[in-house]
Amino acid sequence: MKYLVTTLLVALVPLGVSANDHHGSMDHSMEGHDHASMNHDEHDHASMSHDDHDHSAMDHSGHDMGPKHALLTRTSDIDKALMAGGQPVVVDVLGVVCDFCATAMNKIFGKRQEVAAVYVDLDKKTLSLALQAGETLSDQDIEKLAEQAGYRIAAIRRDNEAIGG
Amino acid sequence: MIRRLIALAIICLITPAVVQARPVSYTGGWTFIETSNRVSTAGLIHYTINPKVSLGLRHERMRDADTDMTMAQGTWLVKRWFGKDYQANVYTMAGVGTISDNSGMSSIHETGSFIGVMADWETRSKFVSYESRFLDKGALGSQSMHAARVGWAPYEGDTGALHTWLMVEIDHREQLKEETTVTPLVRFFKGAALLELGYNLTDPSPLMNFTYRF
Repeated sequence: MKYLVTTLLVALVPLGVSANDHHGSMDHSMEGHDHASMNHDEHDHASMSHDDHDHSAMDHSGHDMGPKHALLTRTSDIDKALMAGGQPVVVDVLGVVCDFCATAMNKIFGKRQEVAAVYVDLDKKTLSLALQAGETLSDQDIEKLAEQAGYRIAAIRRDNEAIGG
Repeated sequence: MIRRLIALAIICLITPAVVQARPVSYTGGWTFIETSNRVSTAGLIHYTINPKVSLGLRHERMRDADTDMTMAQGTWLVKRWFGKDYQANVYTMAGVGTISDNSGMSSIHETGSFIGVMADWETRSKFVSYESRFLDKGALGSQSMHAARVGWAPYEGDTGALHTWLMVEIDHREQLKEETTVTPLVRFFKGAALLELGYNLTDPSPLMNFTYRF
């Protein structure tokens, strides 16, 4: 009986910890800014004077204000499709932890006629798509296809936003 | 495809077969799962009709009781938690079919059924799971099984690379002389294939599980 209780606890504790709303795990932070750890109560923007400092004279070279978003993963198939005029799309996917996840999305997205090339990047947790030239795939369609694969998406970026151009 | 199926069938026959790595796949996906442990060898092939439900056929040979079971099995993904770095699932499963006891002079056939629950949580380097199953063999009795696992991946392999996991499984079966046993095992994971090799230290016997997703 002790064994049963122990194993149940072992199984249930991590589930309880992970039972977050998926938005909680989305990365909205900008490079260098950690909003979660910042205390916004201690400063009052309304009462601050901005007249005595010159932004143009400040050195911003040490600040990277670019978005911390993963870009399209380039494979030979994806490059070939882009060269042919296909649209690049990067999808942030939640819950991608193993090759079975990658297989599922490759199968589901790969059989769509709009998709010329697909690659799931486990390191970046992204789905990279190159669409056929002249074809489109709506955000709703991408979301629906990800659900068919068993996953959920956090964000979709296209064109320059996807390739960092 | 036919060659692949033949190869899988051969693997199923020559190795002792059912661990349930991801018992529900993607819509329209087929999965073959073979499991072999200290008690039985089982094979399950299932088809995922939607992201929450898979239906399949399972055959299990329980070596210690000289019993064969063939059952239709349904698996339901009750809940999946998604995170940027983790995934957690709770599944329930049930099956019904025939059970043949071949231990006597003549075989005894019964209608049998089982219910089970499985939960897992994993990141790319940590894994925890729990599975429980109750089998009703009609006049042949009943039995239960509980198994828990923890695992750790020494490195995070990228897409298509060989992923390696070190795991320990503890199982508990009240009907056996050695009720609780410990099995260290290694999981190899590459693309659509998963292979687990281990050895039960408490009730000396090999463990071999194989999963392939089509």
